[in-house]
Amino acid sequence: MDYHFNFNFVWRYADKLYWGLLLSLEIAFVSILIGMVIGLGLALAYTGGGRLVRTAIAAYVEFIRNVPLLLLVYLVFYGIPSAGGFAYDAQTSFVATLALYSGAYLVEVFRAGLDAIPKGLIDAGKSIGLTPWQRFLYVRMPMMFRIVLPSLSNVYVSLFKDTSLAYVIAVPELTYGANWIKTNTFRVIEVWLVVWPMYLVTCFVLLQALRQLEKRFSLVRR
Amino acid sequence: MSQPLVQVRGVKKSFGTTRVLDGVDLDVAKGEVVCVIGPSGSGKTTLLRCINLLETYDDGSIKVDGVEVGYEDGGGSRKRRSERALAPIRADIGMVFQLFNLFPHLSALENVTLGLTKVRGISKAEATDRATHWLARVGLSDKLQNLPSQLSGGQQQRVGIARAVAMGPKVLLLDEITSALDPELVGEVLSVVQGLAKDGMTMIVVTHEMTFARDVGSRIVFMDDGRVQIDGPSREVLANAASHERLKTFLARIEMKH
Amino acid sequence: MIAYVANTLPFLWEGLLVTLAVSGLVVAISLVTGILCGIGLVYGPLWVRLPIRIYSDILRGTPLLVLIFLIIYGLPIISIDFGNYGSAVIALAAFKTAHVAEIARGAIQSIHYGQTDAGKAIGLTFPQRLHYVILPQAVRRFLPPWINAVADAVKGSALVSLAGIVDLTLAVQQVIGRTYDPLPMYLLGAFMYFAINYSLSLTSRRLEARFAYIRE
Repeated sequence: MDYHFNFNFVWRYADKLYWGLLLSLEIAFVSILIGMVIGLGLALAYTGGGRLVRTAIAAYVEFIRNVPLLLLVYLVFYGIPSAGGFAYDAQTSFVATLALYSGAYLVEVFRAGLDAIPKGLIDAGKSIGLTPWQRFLYVRMPMMFRIVLPSLSNVYVSLFKDTSLAYVIAVPELTYGANWIKTNTFRVIEVWLVVWPMYLVTCFVLLQALRQLEKRFSLVRR
Repeated sequence: MSQPLVQVRGVKKSFGTTRVLDGVDLDVAKGEVVCVIGPSGSGKTTLLRCINLLETYDDGSIKVDGVEVGYEDGGGSRKRRSERALAPIRADIGMVFQLFNLFPHLSALENVTLGLTKVRGISKAEATDRATHWLARVGLSDKLQNLPSQLSGGQQQRVGIARAVAMGPKVLLLDEITSALDPELVGEVLSVVQGLAKDGMTMIVVTHEMTFARDVGSRIVFMDDGRVQIDGPSREVLANAASHERLKTFLARIEMKH
Repeated sequence: MIAYVANTLPFLWEGLLVTLAVSGLVVAISLVTGILCGIGLVYGPLWVRLPIRIYSDILRGTPLLVLIFLIIYGLPIISIDFGNYGSAVIALAAFKTAHVAEIARGAIQSIHYGQTDAGKAIGLTFPQRLHYVILPQAVRRFLPPWINAVADAVKGSALVSLAGIVDLTLAVQQVIGRTYDPLPMYLLGAFMYFAINYSLSLTSRRLEARFAYIRE
């Protein structure tokens, strides 16, 4: 091995990586928030809706789940504006993509969560005289969120990893920052050897933090 | 007196800091039916599982037909038998489980033939003959091709017995084989075991069925706190139960459950 | 319009073949390595379990794209050069191995320990128990999630386009580069991926339903 490692260039541009990491986390966070609105709305529509509504929702879910995310990123950023005659900035486009993407996964998560609420609890709500809206707010929602919390954590961490794709449309997140340093300093492997642990440690810390959060909301206390 | 078929000497076993077996001695002669009774946690199931080394024992000796089960013989140092070396020993010790443990992907017939062909090396045709014979013996001639999920609990347990007996074991270990059954299915399983006892099959039976222990068992062994507390002829042990405080309490508790 | 689509089809077809070749290789390699790692995770001694555990956790905490770049640029440094194509396949396979290992581990551990007890009690050796008792049951739990993992591999293979390999995704982009009409081409590409993956997920669901009988 005759390669001489030189990390100096990486350190000089470390702020690119630092801000990139924060942007990655932010994009994932905003995306999952919008995705949760989409997912919950569609899950409720699916449970209560007619056949047409169900088919439409299933089509959306299946389309998103069976097409590579990279292609969806291109489709939303290049494809749709070209046909609609408008434009938006790369970051908005990417957040929209990731929100639609996570929404499709979260529909399934929320549907399973709604299904997993014990029927007896709804009956108990009825028996103490709660209106349907009250039952929704005070029984179904709190139960469902506790059931789906572990899945939400997993989706968030996986979205965080997926933000690396934003570099293909020049959103200055972590992977973009890495590529920028690579092209401008040619210290290719050094950059990746720094960025890789950044992703790893962030994923690990996120998971641990989210597991703690799950424990706080867990129905089984010890 | 000739050597007992199963000889347990000073067997000790701990799970972590909990001592489950605290020096167990037990002899079982050929043709005997020994019923092991005792409260849960007394170590009776663990003892059974040590005899074919589904659990390892920390100290003492277990010999089946003169062969030390868990350790290679000879020398001062004890060397654990490898899994590979254990297989043929286990093949000679039959076991029937509380939860049946039938292979769910195999038919009743295949459950019985698997050991015959793969362990005993018997030809497929002969194994099928033998398995059919034993399944008929337990009253399941019409269920040979059924999967376990298509059988009742009692039928599954009878397949479990056929699977163990068909191997031609020297001794049969029965681990609370009726505990998981609905009460109305217990009889059909016990009568199969009674038949085996009549044929002279050596058996060690962990059970809560006192009627069975009295009528079929030749001996009763009462275990508590990881030790054998009482060991004697069935009727004698039960007749003198009043004079033994722990046994009396245990029997009274069992009585209440029934 | 029709003529233009017809003109691009052979080109897209070649891209599709590359996508299928890459996915196929990745799936085949990771099936073997993943199952071995899964068995190691369940039955291996600590010195086998621990490295696999660490490997799997690290790989699953790394974005696939980062892994691809790491291997493409990293292997030449230690004087191994498989070219972009080989490196990309290695990266995808390494990533998939971790996932398949977890699926295999889950499938094996879902089998009740009584099955191992029963196998031991009739004198089956460890390889025999794996062959006749554990794996035939585990495969029923393994297949449905594994087929989903295959669909994931097909989707993940799109990232090789970023390493300059002309797979379906890059083929679509190259066509767009000439025609400047992105939407229909992206939709066509998406539909081609969809056709492959949706049939895989249907297969997975059908298998799941078929194996539902085997529950204890």
